[in-house]
Amino acid sequence: MTRLPILTTALAIGLATTAHAQTTLTILMIEGLDKGAMEAVAAQYMQDRADVKVEIQSLPWNQFFQVSEMRLKSGDAAVDLIYTDAPVVAAYAANGYIQPFDAAVADEAKAKLVAPSVTAGTYDGKLYSLPMNSSAQVLYYNVDLLKAAGVTPPNGLTKGSVANPDAIATLASTDRWTFEQIAEAAKAVSGSEGGKAKPWGFAFEQFAELYQLQPLGGSLGSDLISADAMTADSYLNGEAWTKAATWWSDLFNSWNVSPRSLGFGEAAQMFTNGQLAMFVGGTWNVAAVAQSSINFGIAPHPKFADGKAATPTGSWYLSVTKASPDAAAATDFAHYAALSDQGTDIWFDKLNQLPTTNRLLDKINADNSFDAFPASVMRLSAWESRNTAVARPVTVAFSQLQDAFRTAFTDIANGVAVDEALATAVDSYDQAAKRLNRK
Amino acid sequence: MNRSPIKLLVLTLAPALLGLAVFRAYPIGLALYESLYTTIGGERAFIGLGNYLDLLTDAGFWKSLRVTLWFNLIINPLQVALALALALMFVQKLPGMAVFRLLFLIPIGISLPVAVIIWRIVLLPEGFLNGVLGGVGLGPYRFLTSPDFALYSIIAIATWKGVSYWMIFLVGGLQNIPPEIGEAARLEGASPWQRLWLITLPLLRPTLLFVLVADVTINFLLFAPVFMLTGGGPRGSTNVLMYEAYKSGFVFGDMGRAMAIVVCLVALLLVIVGIQFRLLSSAPPKETP
Amino acid sequence: MPPVLRKAVLYLCLVAAAIIFVLPLWWAILSSFRPNDAIFRDLFPFTPRALWPEPFTLDAYVAIFERGFGAIIANTLLVAALTTALGLVVNALAGFAFALFDFPGKSTVLGIVVVSFMLPFEAIAMPLYTVVSQLGWIDHVAALVVPSVANGLAVFLFYQFFQQVPKDYSEAARLEGAGWLRILWSVYVPLSLPTCISAGLMLFIFQWEAFLWPLLAMPAQQFKVIQVGMAAFQDQYTTAWNQLFGAAVITALIPMLLLIPLQRYYVQGLAGSGIKG
Repeated sequence: MTRLPILTTALAIGLATTAHAQTTLTILMIEGLDKGAMEAVAAQYMQDRADVKVEIQSLPWNQFFQVSEMRLKSGDAAVDLIYTDAPVVAAYAANGYIQPFDAAVADEAKAKLVAPSVTAGTYDGKLYSLPMNSSAQVLYYNVDLLKAAGVTPPNGLTKGSVANPDAIATLASTDRWTFEQIAEAAKAVSGSEGGKAKPWGFAFEQFAELYQLQPLGGSLGSDLISADAMTADSYLNGEAWTKAATWWSDLFNSWNVSPRSLGFGEAAQMFTNGQLAMFVGGTWNVAAVAQSSINFGIAPHPKFADGKAATPTGSWYLSVTKASPDAAAATDFAHYAALSDQGTDIWFDKLNQLPTTNRLLDKINADNSFDAFPASVMRLSAWESRNTAVARPVTVAFSQLQDAFRTAFTDIANGVAVDEALATAVDSYDQAAKRLNRK
Repeated sequence: MNRSPIKLLVLTLAPALLGLAVFRAYPIGLALYESLYTTIGGERAFIGLGNYLDLLTDAGFWKSLRVTLWFNLIINPLQVALALALALMFVQKLPGMAVFRLLFLIPIGISLPVAVIIWRIVLLPEGFLNGVLGGVGLGPYRFLTSPDFALYSIIAIATWKGVSYWMIFLVGGLQNIPPEIGEAARLEGASPWQRLWLITLPLLRPTLLFVLVADVTINFLLFAPVFMLTGGGPRGSTNVLMYEAYKSGFVFGDMGRAMAIVVCLVALLLVIVGIQFRLLSSAPPKETP
Repeated sequence: MPPVLRKAVLYLCLVAAAIIFVLPLWWAILSSFRPNDAIFRDLFPFTPRALWPEPFTLDAYVAIFERGFGAIIANTLLVAALTTALGLVVNALAGFAFALFDFPGKSTVLGIVVVSFMLPFEAIAMPLYTVVSQLGWIDHVAALVVPSVANGLAVFLFYQFFQQVPKDYSEAARLEGAGWLRILWSVYVPLSLPTCISAGLMLFIFQWEAFLWPLLAMPAQQFKVIQVGMAAFQDQYTTAWNQLFGAAVITALIPMLLLIPLQRYYVQGLAGSGIKG
């Protein structure tokens, strides 16, 4: 909708239907590359539909959630489609900000998309959001720094390497480094001088974030919260997570191989400056790292020696707001962007992020333009998304869980005892879950 | 006092009062009203004072209240004292003062988020300050990640950003003091220290009251550095009430609890500001009727 | 204390204060002259080389202005100037009325005015958004300027000052037959220049740092202000640190340059004007 005083909005809608059948859809999303990709999708969409105009409003990434939440909460009819981060789908649905898609769209989504990405868009049995793309995390390693420390680098994808689908499957299923190996290699690189006389050994890109660290417990077979989402007790403070959090604590407090505080994007910066030997980070860093002079490789996401592989997944979704006066048109656009061949092709070509449709994932596997490095990283990501990806839990209290998790793991890195920090996190989550699930 | 010409009163007061009524008071009213509501199962529900009663038994709220009080007990006197010291230096007439005056104005134009980004780099364990301290054999200190230091680091950053701003108000206040008074005292042999305590400060009282009230208000509501640097940690040591409210409202979508916290915070603020008025505003010599 | 020693101590304090103010910024300024991938090169761990722009490039500044930051600065100056000009008039008038006249309920109204600035903006942002969109001002400059003109703190500042002005000034003018507005203009305003500068600075800086509100009130983003423009330097995956610092340097310089010519009202002061009681 165009922006009109509320008093005259009703009048304007009335006039619009009688006079000229032009519908304007407004999408609220984040600034940057994603917006550019959405503009390309919208441009193609509008070419075929003269009666619809798609407008894109954007907010800076850091303020997106706060400001969009305010607009959604005030029932702003000016927003028809909202760019939705996977884990907030449940809260948006529970708060009545977004409306579910009908059964036809839901069935089509189930048929066309990988299962975890449908699960993450579903709340209370209904599909509320359609995924635009997914994400994957890999291990970046600096070959020269590892060799100089006497460590044999992991097997991985390197400059000039070629990896066919079988090679990727073998690498990911049998040749994955363990967190224990990471620790040994990091100790060899840092000595006790990490960050001072010697480079840091290892870091996670998103410091203490749930998205990034969920695979630690996941690899040891534990969820974060119970299946009914009512409690984190005996999950987040259970045996598996205690072991995982102890490994995390040791990174800082025993081995001193990882910096205690990392701002956004700093891990990749340090890696390309040769100040960091290994980091687990998103595949979005590949281009920047490949441009640097670092002799690096990319290996599958690590796992614990006595655990299974688990990797982060999930990214942005598109939802129709409850306040949208043109819900049918908005639904049609969301369907086009997330499910149609044309829409998903444009999105993938423009943004080059891991797709969620089986069609595109099959294409990445079969198409030999993904054999060579660094395109082969996309093939590795596609493999992970179908075999090891673990979606973030669906809970109304996800924001609280994420905050409690971040607080706990930041505190642990700063020397708070693992048991104490996890117990505090469980308490805060349980309290929030109880409050939000009042009847 | 003067008779009040009605027309003139309306003319002078209406623009400000109308603006404040529409763009402050009315939204404030709506916000207060929101503190009586909550969301249950996706539906908005009126719960009266329920949000406030919940706070009474909420350990996180009380801990956060203690942090807020301690934070303000330190930062406000510190900022006002430093701003006053800067203001007194600012008005000195010495060779080279023009340059110093210029440098003192620097932080005014730097927005708080940018100041925080820069200071984070300064305070990191491997950062600037530890580099300098390491040069004389101290540290490294974990300024932002140790429960013993984090709150004071936040205070330091906010003070760096804030003192120049308050200095300007105090410099303005110093201008309003007739120089003859100071001059007379000097001739009578009062030391600079005596002149400061007996003449400058009492005459600066209205400006000091203004700066103190405005500064206390801003610091009670300050949360951006906490939000950007520590997220309330480590161990809740920097979790000021306003951050707790912000998190409740905008991260957790629990606007009812957030507004209830804000109301408590503002009530507390009013009490403190009331005391400041009591202590500082009795001063200006009024003409006897 | 002998005068020489006193001067030495004073200079020592001045230098110390100046270093504390300048040093963090020095690093930011130099970083704005480095390529983005070299920002942290000498920082983890810190080496003195971090205080030197090596390698040197003007890329950041070129990129800042290619992003249209010139227009963004002009926008912000417009909003801040309008708010400051209107705000000075509106709030000085109200402060004048509160200081000089008695009327029923005065202390209550004054109390509410002062309290009105004690609520965090975050708390009223959403209701204010509803009000402004009902006025039809969303995406208009009015949405940024008008709600910020009336400012309880500025009213309070003027009230505090005008109250101090001895009553015989206005009474003398009254006897000569001058109207109240004339008295305000020719007696009170000249005396209150330092106060006007303080209040103007407050209104100006408020808009200079405004961030949350412009994001909400200007959703089409056709008209961006500085803090919104700077937020775009940090996106989901990367941060253009050098541009961020470059923009920070530019935005810090502007209020400083505006304050410098006003300094003479401050500095001459101690010997010149002032209220004689």
